[in-house]
Amino acid sequence: MISSVNPAVKMVAIIIPGVLLSFSFDIFTPLTYLIFIVAFTFLFSSIPVKKWLLVFTPFVFLALGFAWMTTLYTSDSFSGGRVLFEFWWFEITTGGVMVGISLALRSLCFVALSLMFILTTDSTKFMLSLMQQFKLPPKLTYGILAGYRFLPTFKHEFEVLRQAHRIRGVGRAKGVKGRLRQFRRYAIPLMANAIRKAERVAIAMESKGFTGSHDRTHYHHMSVGKKDWVFFASIVGTFFLVVFTSYQLGYLNIFGRQF
Amino acid sequence: MKKRLPNQIPPVQKQPALIRTENLSFDYEKKQSEPLINDVSFSLEEGEVTLLTGASGSGKSTISLCLNGLYPEAVEGYAEGTVYFRGEDISRFEKGVLNQKIGIVFQDPESQFCMVTVENELAFTMENLKVPRKDMAERMDAVLEVTGLTEVKYRAIHELSGGQKQKVALASVLLMEPELLILDEPTANLDPVSSLEFIQLVAKLQQERKMAVLVIEHQLDDWMAYIHRVLALNKHGKLIADGPRDKVFAEYKETLTAEGIHLPKVMEENTQKLGGQTPQFLEPSLSISNLSFKRKERTILQDLSMTLHKGEFVAVAGENGAGKSTLLQLMAGILSPHKGTVTFQDAPLKKWREEELRKHMGFVFQNPEHQFITDTVYDELSFGMKLNGTPEEEMKEKVTELLGHFQLEGHRLNNPFSLSGGQKRRLSVATMLDETPDVLLFDEPTFGQDAKTTDELMSIVLDLKAKGTTIVFVTHDMDLIDQYCETVFVLDKGNLAFSGTPEQLWDKESLLKQARLRLPYRVRQQKEEGDVYDLVR
Repeated sequence: MISSVNPAVKMVAIIIPGVLLSFSFDIFTPLTYLIFIVAFTFLFSSIPVKKWLLVFTPFVFLALGFAWMTTLYTSDSFSGGRVLFEFWWFEITTGGVMVGISLALRSLCFVALSLMFILTTDSTKFMLSLMQQFKLPPKLTYGILAGYRFLPTFKHEFEVLRQAHRIRGVGRAKGVKGRLRQFRRYAIPLMANAIRKAERVAIAMESKGFTGSHDRTHYHHMSVGKKDWVFFASIVGTFFLVVFTSYQLGYLNIFGRQF
Repeated sequence: MKKRLPNQIPPVQKQPALIRTENLSFDYEKKQSEPLINDVSFSLEEGEVTLLTGASGSGKSTISLCLNGLYPEAVEGYAEGTVYFRGEDISRFEKGVLNQKIGIVFQDPESQFCMVTVENELAFTMENLKVPRKDMAERMDAVLEVTGLTEVKYRAIHELSGGQKQKVALASVLLMEPELLILDEPTANLDPVSSLEFIQLVAKLQQERKMAVLVIEHQLDDWMAYIHRVLALNKHGKLIADGPRDKVFAEYKETLTAEGIHLPKVMEENTQKLGGQTPQFLEPSLSISNLSFKRKERTILQDLSMTLHKGEFVAVAGENGAGKSTLLQLMAGILSPHKGTVTFQDAPLKKWREEELRKHMGFVFQNPEHQFITDTVYDELSFGMKLNGTPEEEMKEKVTELLGHFQLEGHRLNNPFSLSGGQKRRLSVATMLDETPDVLLFDEPTFGQDAKTTDELMSIVLDLKAKGTTIVFVTHDMDLIDQYCETVFVLDKGNLAFSGTPEQLWDKESLLKQARLRLPYRVRQQKEEGDVYDLVR
């Protein structure tokens, strides 16, 4: 199962194809890989399809938007090929359409990869793993974890602040200047409280014997085992397999250069 | 000038005290003529429970952080004098070592954890102590058992109740097996029953483990039975009393009262109910009928109906999370009910124009800072009048009057955020009074305040009430309800479980228990006397 893979290994396994994919400008490579990632996600995790679709769908529209814009404004090196149709001063070429679709597919690949990571990874374990595998300083990782706890309280406080100001009649302030001032009114108490809380948490952590040194024992021992390497090999290996196949079939296009 | 009090503990002892401070001074800024903590010397003995009390802003919490060496280092403050732990200067301890011998539970349950679940938070402490991994599970289960948290081991901390959160804080500190446990107003945010449970848990643990405990607290009553010794600080950070419990409260009674420190209720004479007879209220001011409120499918309030009258002092009580604050927000029209209506002076809230409604109804928030929107106290007080287009002359007059009435004359041009706790509280009330409101709503206004601030607030409130303003308090303070309120509404899991006079409420024992409320001190005392009387008879 993906959720039991070591988070640090998982992160690297996802970043490598993520970065390399951005160089391929054909359609075949990202499309094949996207199908693989989606299939892999559902085969080896228990993410409900409905939840996945709920997060994924908005990105489909965003990707379509990207594709359309790229198709319209393709740079000269890519906009070769037959002119499909023209309107106003735009010329839609086959080259442009290809690049557009490729971009959309690449974006969706990133989204699918990110979702595979986010929906199967526990934030605490991710931080612990970064600390144990990548030797990130505990000061940083525990700091991030403590900050993570604040998000819901921050939202609640903003809500209360808005109500308090409404009672005072601030909502009645008019004009751009009034709006600007209003923003400052929210920012100062929110910041003041956030700083105060951060200080308190820091003191509480130190008073429990936290020194920020690496010399500590671990309750959750984050190990890297065979399963993690199998995962790594499948995600990264498949990527290279897809690129190779694409090359064999003559589809591969890196930065506009056809191979 | 007051004479300096003699030290109660003889300086030479066979065994060194657990903690001994000598001429400790501290300030967050550079050295000043009158630092926040000013030349304080005292000892804490092994196995002893000591109470540290003092008015708000007297540096109580700061002292506790000086004892475990976190201050002055953490804040780059200025410090003078020496603190000894079992005779050894604490500045000689390696970083992190002393912290493990002194455990602190802080006041705010929201800001003392760094992990999401109870399990991981407890593990965090043990990892800091370098407990071998194989021993961790056993130690964790043991401490969960002791604190009664076994069932919530895998739960997220933010989902727990305030009482449970404080127990988690206690549990993670107990894992260090501290020699000294410092409790910095740990029950200030808890409902009455959770608060009592926490105190009893600490008392039980103290008796079993014989650790020393330093309690910093405003509300002394529930701790009284367990305290051996009392230390008191005055507003200038000087130690004004140090000695055995009964001796301090007997000898320094006047001094403590003058400093605005809460005395234990046993010592106060005037715990009688004010007013005596409940007056008849005829004119309704605000009424609620069949009101329900949901938040994300979850029912917060269910089918409530109630009527508030002119000049009535109403309390809303109930467990944390029972929907008290939500009810207050619905009354103020800053939330809209899912079902039912709120009627204010013959018109439903929905029909009111926002400006008109705000003129007639005030709301004082728990944290006064939330209400401040300008840079000076003067602007703060005139803000509402400016919006209403009050003429300049009249406005000036009114602001001056408010400044005088709320003892803020000297702070006319200060930034509201720079005021002391009590001044902020007064200002937050004053901002609501540019016109005498018909209804004034308060969300836990006395929480975390010292005796003096509370008394000041109550006299302001009673003044308004006499002018016909309806006062509504959401509060956990049963003594306040007993002393001042005419009507109590008790919420229990979103339902109106009781409405009537406090006297009627005190008779309903099972209801009080269910809503996690307690009897006020006065009534408890009467009951005890009654029981003794029964025995004698």
